[in-house]
Parts: sequence; C-alpha cells; structure tokens
Amino acid sequence: MSGTFKRLAWVLGGLVAAIAVASIQSGTDAANLTKAGAYCIALVGLSFLTGWSGQISIGNSGFMLVGGYSAAFWTLHHPGEPVAISMIVAIAVSAFVGLIIGMPATRLRGPYLAGMTLAFAVALPYVPQSFAVSTLGGSQGLTITPLSAPQWFFNLFDTNNTLPVVINSRFTAMVSVVIAALVLWLMSNLFTSKTGRAMRLVRDNDVAAELVGLHLGRTRAQAFVLTAALSGLAGALLVMVSGTASPSTYEFGFTFSIALLTLMVLGGIGSLSGAIIAALLGVYSLQITTWITDHTGLGPDSWVSAKLPNLAPNMENILFGILLIVTMIFAPRGIVGLATGLRQKLISVTRR
Amino acid sequence: MISISHLSVAYGAIVALDDVSIEAPTGAITAVLGANGAGKTTLLRTISGLVKPRSGSITANGHALIGERPDTIARLGIAHVPEGRGVIAEFTVEENLRLGALGAKTNVTAGLEEQYTLFPVLKERRKQYAAQLSGGERQMLALGRAMIANPQILLLDEPSLGLAPLVTQDIMNTIKTLCANSGLTVILVEQNAKSALKISDYAAVLHVGKSIAVRPAAEVAADESLRSYYLGMAE
Amino acid sequence: MIANILTNRIVNDIAGGTAQGVIIGLVALCLVLVWRATRVLNFAQGPMAMFVTYIGMTQMDHHANFWVAAAISVAVGFIFSALTEIVIVKPLYHKAEINPIVVMVGMFTLLEAVASAVWTNIPRYPTAPFSSINFQSEGNPTGLSPLSTFQIGAALAIMTLVAILFNYTSLGLKLRASALAPEVSKLLGIRVGRLLTLGWGIAGAVGAVAGVVISLNPGGLAPNMLDAMFILGFIAAAIGGLDSPLGALVSGIVIGVVMQLINDYWNSNYADMVAVVLLVVVLMLRPQGIFTKNSTRRV
Ligand SMILES: Nc1ncnc2c1ncn2[C@@H]1O[C@H](COP(=O)(O)OP(=O)(O)OP(=O)(O)O)[C@@H](O)[C@H]1O
Ligand SMILES: [Mg+2]
Repeated sequence: MSGTFKRLAWVLGGLVAAIAVASIQSGTDAANLTKAGAYCIALVGLSFLTGWSGQISIGNSGFMLVGGYSAAFWTLHHPGEPVAISMIVAIAVSAFVGLIIGMPATRLRGPYLAGMTLAFAVALPYVPQSFAVSTLGGSQGLTITPLSAPQWFFNLFDTNNTLPVVINSRFTAMVSVVIAALVLWLMSNLFTSKTGRAMRLVRDNDVAAELVGLHLGRTRAQAFVLTAALSGLAGALLVMVSGTASPSTYEFGFTFSIALLTLMVLGGIGSLSGAIIAALLGVYSLQITTWITDHTGLGPDSWVSAKLPNLAPNMENILFGILLIVTMIFAPRGIVGLATGLRQKLISVTRR
Repeated sequence: MISISHLSVAYGAIVALDDVSIEAPTGAITAVLGANGAGKTTLLRTISGLVKPRSGSITANGHALIGERPDTIARLGIAHVPEGRGVIAEFTVEENLRLGALGAKTNVTAGLEEQYTLFPVLKERRKQYAAQLSGGERQMLALGRAMIANPQILLLDEPSLGLAPLVTQDIMNTIKTLCANSGLTVILVEQNAKSALKISDYAAVLHVGKSIAVRPAAEVAADESLRSYYLGMAE
Repeated sequence: MIANILTNRIVNDIAGGTAQGVIIGLVALCLVLVWRATRVLNFAQGPMAMFVTYIGMTQMDHHANFWVAAAISVAVGFIFSALTEIVIVKPLYHKAEINPIVVMVGMFTLLEAVASAVWTNIPRYPTAPFSSINFQSEGNPTGLSPLSTFQIGAALAIMTLVAILFNYTSLGLKLRASALAPEVSKLLGIRVGRLLTLGWGIAGAVGAVAGVVISLNPGGLAPNMLDAMFILGFIAAAIGGLDSPLGALVSGIVIGVVMQLINDYWNSNYADMVAVVLLVVVLMLRPQGIFTKNSTRRV
C-alpha cells in the first residue's frame, strides 16, 4: 500500500516538475531552476552526511569545486563525447578526494571534523590558482562550451515566439531537475536499505553499532565518499551549464559551504523533501529577502536604509544568520519538522 | 534532620522511586540499603537537586529543597559524595580540597589544616594528582573535600565501592567518628549492608523504588525477612 | 657579527613569523578556552572578535586615543561573548554535538553581514601608536618593527595573564573545575552556569585583544579580517589539541613561522594549503592533537 503510494507520489512529482519546466516563461526562472537542481543534489549529499551518519561538513563547496573542475577538464580534452561521461568522471574524482579527506574524518569528532572540512574548503580554491596553472587555468579557470539544447528539444516549441536562450534554459533546467530527481530517488532507496540503516545506527549509538559488527570507520568513510560524490556531481552540473569553472565561482567558495549548511538546517536535516525546499530557498533567497524587507519597512527606501546604505546588500545574510540561530534553538528539525508537527497536531485535533 | 516524604522520581517511563518516605534524624547515621537499581543513587541525587522529582517533598533543617539548584542546596550545608567519589582526577589533592572550601565559601587555610590532621595521608600526597591515588585514598579525599565545607548533612553514595574489606572498615570507622564528633546527620547509601549496619543508628531498605522500613539499624540487621531485599548480605 | 644575524633572511623570517604566529596562537587560545569550558567549538570566534574590535576602534574616529579604544574593544568583547553564551549557547548544552556548531555558524553569517552593513567592506586603518618600519641594524632592516614587537608583547602578556588566572587563582580553580566536572562542581556549591558564562567572557576578551592587534596589520580592520586567522587559529588549536592552551600557543608560533618561510622562499598562495595539509596529516596520525594527553580522565 505505502509502496504503491510512494511510487505514485514519485510519478506525480516528476510529471508536475516536467510540466513546470516546460511552461516556464522567464529565462531567469529556468536558470534558477537549473541552479536549484544542482543545489538540491548538493543539499541531499550534505543532509545525508549530517542526518544519517551524524557527521558535519563545512567543506562541501570544496568537493563541488573538484567535481566542477574535473568535468570541465574532461570536456576540454574529450570534446564531442557525451556529457554524461564528464559527469561520471566528476563523480569519480570527487568521490576519491572525499575518500582522502574522509580518512582522518572517520576518527574525528564533530567539531574537529567541521573545522577540518572548513579549512579544506578555504584552502582548495588556491590549488588551481597556484598549481598547474597552464592545465587548470589559474585564476581565470577553465572555459568550455556550455550545455545546449538539441534540435528535437527546439522542435517542441514555437521558436517564433520564444527566444532560443529561453528554450535553452528550459532544457538545462529539465536536465538538472531530472538528475536531481534521479538522485532523490536513489537516496530514498538508500535510506531504507541495509546500508542506510547501518549508518543510522552508527549515528545514534556507535557502541551498539560496533556490537552488531559494523565497522564504524568504514561506515563513516562511506558516508563521506557519498557526500563528496554528490557534491561533485552538483558542481559538475553547474559548470556544464555555465561553461566556466573558476576559483571565484560562488558555489566553489567556503561561503557556499556555510550557505549549504544554513539551507540544510532550514529545510530539515536528513530530509529529502527538506532538501528540495532548501534548494528553492537557496536560489530565491534574494527575492524572498526583498519581499520580506519590502513588507516590513526595512526596504531600500526606509529610514534605516537611509542611515545605513550598506544594509540592503547585507539583508540576506542578516536574515539567514538570524533564521539559522532561531531554527536551531527552537525548531531543530527545520521547515519539514514544523510541517510534520503541524500536520500531527491537525490530525489529533480532528480525531478528537 | 532531613525528611523525605512521598517522593516519586521517574526517568521518562522508568519509575526509579515510588512514594518513598524516609526520615534521617539529626546527629545520627541512617543507612539506606538496597540491591542494584533499587533507586539509592536516585534518592541522593534528588536530595541534591540533580534530579527533579515528579512529586513529594524534601526538607532539611527546615529548608524545602525541591526546586532549588544543586549549588544552592550544597551551600545550605548538604555535602554529597557521589557514587564513584567524584574526585577530579586532573586536580591535585590540595586543589580538590580547596575546591570544596571555595564552593562552600569556608576558610580555605583553616579547612585544609583541619582535613590534613584528620587525614594525614592526604597531607603527604597533597601535591599529587588525584588520578594517582588508591581507591581508599580517593575516598578519604572525597570525604575530606565534603567535610571542608563544614556541612550539617552528609550524603554518602556507596563509599565502600571497589574497596577491600579492611579499607572499607577503615572508611566506615572514619564516618562514624566524623558523625560522633561534629553532630553530623549522615545518609549512608550502601550495598554492603553488613558494614553499613555496623556503624548506623537507623536503616531503611529500598526495593525497586519503594521504601520498606525505617527502623533502628540493629532491628533491621536482625530481621531475617528483610535480608532478601538487599543482596549485600551474603550468608 | 650580531648585526649579520639580526639581518639574516631566515632569522628575519623567524622573527616576523613569530609575530604572526603569536597572534594565531591567541586566536587558537580563544577556541581552546571556550572548548575546554563548554565543549563548543566557537565558529563565530573570528566575527565576534572582529565585531567588538570595530565597536572599540571606531571610537578613535570620535577622538578616543588608541588605548581607550582598545580597552573598549576588550570590555565589549567580554560582555558580548558572555551574553552570547547566555542567550544562544546555554539552550544547546546536552543537545546533539552539531547544534552548537550550526548556531555559531549562524552567528558568523549574521555578524559579518551586520558589520558590513554598519561599517561597509572598505577596510579602516586604526593608527597605531607604534611605527611599522623595521628596526635597523647597521643600516639593514631586522625582522621586527616597534609595531610587531608590540603585537608579540601584547599577545604574550594576555596569554600569561590567562595562564596565571587559570592556574594560580581560586577563580581559575573554579573555572577549571566547572569545565572538567560540572556536576561534581555543582555538588560542591560552585555556580557552574555562571562560571561557564565567565569562561566565554574571558575568551571574548582575549579574542578582542587578538582583533585589536590584527587590525594593526596591513590588512586593517574589515568585516572578514579574521576569517583567515580563524582558520589558522583552528588549525593551530587542532594540531596542539583543543584541550591544550600551551599547545595552541606553540603550534600557533610554528605555523606562523612555517608560513612566513613559505611566503618568503616559495609562493604565498601555498602557505594556507601547507597549513591545511599539516592539519590533515596531524589529525590522521593523532586525532586528539599533539599536546593532549592520550586519555583525559574524567571522574
Ligand atoms: N539517567 C537515567 N536515565 C534513565 N534511567 C535511569 C537513570 N539513572 C538511573 N536510572 C534507572 O533508575 C533505576 C534506579 O537507579 P539508581 O542508580 O538510583 O539505582 P541504585 O540503587 O543506585 O543502583 P546501584 O546499586 O547499582 O548503584 C534503575 O532502574 C536505573 O536503570
Ligand atoms: Mg547507585
């Protein structure tokens, strides 16, 4: 029963997503959706690590950089080969880096791990800037031909009324959403698999986990490799769409690691639907912030902004900082947790 | 005098104490006996404010204790030597003692002097880390650290734990002397019923969270029917 | 002969590296203080120090002299950190280990954004009462200037004060006890909650000293001025062992010197990476750090 229901939910969700993508009118929204797909993948990776194996990483932007550069590098040297191969290469390379970083990680407790991954994310953008400048492009980075829609996709639309750029964005949005959906589906299966249960046990009670014969270090390392692989895929997706991998790409800097952590917590740690919500929150955060400031009298025309002209550009981070603190203290399970709580309350009220 | 009435404590679904009433008269040693998991430690932790009870009341020398913070309760003159002694292994003997005086805001120098005469072995080892002490010495340190606060009430949680019979004897005698000399009210939680009953004036038996009797220690010791409730008395 | 040594390139690097290393050690010390007291790794340490440094040092725009401004920073640093503990950290004790990490990351974001909103991202350069021109020896520059000497002196003085406070005073004994064995301390009548707040306050004051000292560097005072320093401070603290104040200082100095040598003889881009590699290697070999005793015994 619940299995059928689940499958139905997946199919329905996929249909809705497909229709949504195809009917997007604005190129910006399509571009945002493309980003959201990538963010969603990265968020699922982080959420899995934290929610399911109890580890924390503030370094996933580093893995995204690895994935992005790997994809760009491969594409540059193997032009004309399918995009999928570049993606797979990106996944493989970042998984390998994840293994190296994950090795000490398996022996570290939360704060050490968080600090170490943060240090990794901070230092990593220096690598392409200082080493192998000729192969990795130095501070310019690597440039490739971005992903473009094939002819059959163009044929689906009335090209006289829609700009090719918009159709192209629709295509990338579709690719991104499909990959994200695939990842979500795989992860939802993993969550209920034996490996998923093992990881939960390691998170909740490492002594018990050892007693039933689980290898703590190996399980933790597996989780780390998976996170790195997913982050790498997200990074590769972003690069394939934008056409550039550079040390100054926003998603490759450590501030994006912090943003990921924030978004994951707001969405709901360890939750797949939370990751989807968080991804949308991430790409539309500026619009949401503007809406909030406009409706609370803190907008650019307000007296506060007259006094502090630099407030407006920082409003987003101020709000997110406050939200993160408040969420962690009062609603540690995030938006999804709040929604579940609300639903349960409603159910118990209607039952009475 | 400390009186506990109708005290109930639960950890989630686990009821550790169920309607327990015990009185410990001033200047006397009251033993609380019971098997593993009977709720002895929980009783002392509730008196000290570390555990919040579900219901019931505790008064000590006229103060209602429930709802007070542990440090406030300690400063009311109630010293608690916890299970496993609670000496701070990273501190030297003297630092442990000083800490006791600082917490109770009593005179440090005079207190140290007093405890060193009471426990000469602590004076010898005053610069050593508590981690390096033997079990018996640690218990002395824990007792000294409690006594340096000049308490009126002393709560002891299994002082004999992990000690050889002879050392246990020694500790028990020390407790007896302390009580006799300073008019201290003592609640002595023990599994080692034989040693505890020897020095106690009164005894209560806890059995899976319920108090069974509070009677003169000699009576409890003589009552065959009570023995099965506390396993310490292997005969 | 002495002049040769004083102006030797390596000796200069070591001197200059020590100046930076001591500051790294100071940041590491803040982390260690907070970690030892409350088992929280304060990811907002850098922004917190930056924020209070701004509050104090901008008083120089209102004709306060350097010392008054610095004193204001330190006082505000103490109060701000203590309040942070009371308001947002206390609710998280006994919760999952990642909760305080996340909250402090939120604090990081918030404070940098507020600072940028209020003071903009354009660096300010507080005028130090010391010259940054290196001492000369027979016409050649040595590795130290009056300013860097002051920076080393200030950092070492604060560390000494903290060491004395913790190791030789009654308050220090209570602070250490509250951190090591909170429950036992409560049973002895010690107001543990208050002392933990005090511990945060002290770390905040030390952080403010680090902030003031760093604001005199060429980078000046900027919202993200402590980001890199925080990372290096964390690396130093983790290498030394988060429980060891001495380890924090020593590894801070070592990192400072190593980075200076790399800067001078190799490429400044490599310095941060070498620090991270050092961290990964040390953590692989000794996850608890070099200076922490193998098993910290608890009672
Ligand atoms: N923190 C806790 N959480 C949940 N249950 C607890 C906790 N502490 C004690 N218990 C339970 O409460 C009951 C009483 O425990 P308590 O430690 O008071 O017993 P005790 O008489 O001191 O035992 P022992 O002689 O072994 O020290 C036991 O069933 C125990 O499992
Ligand atoms: Mg017990």
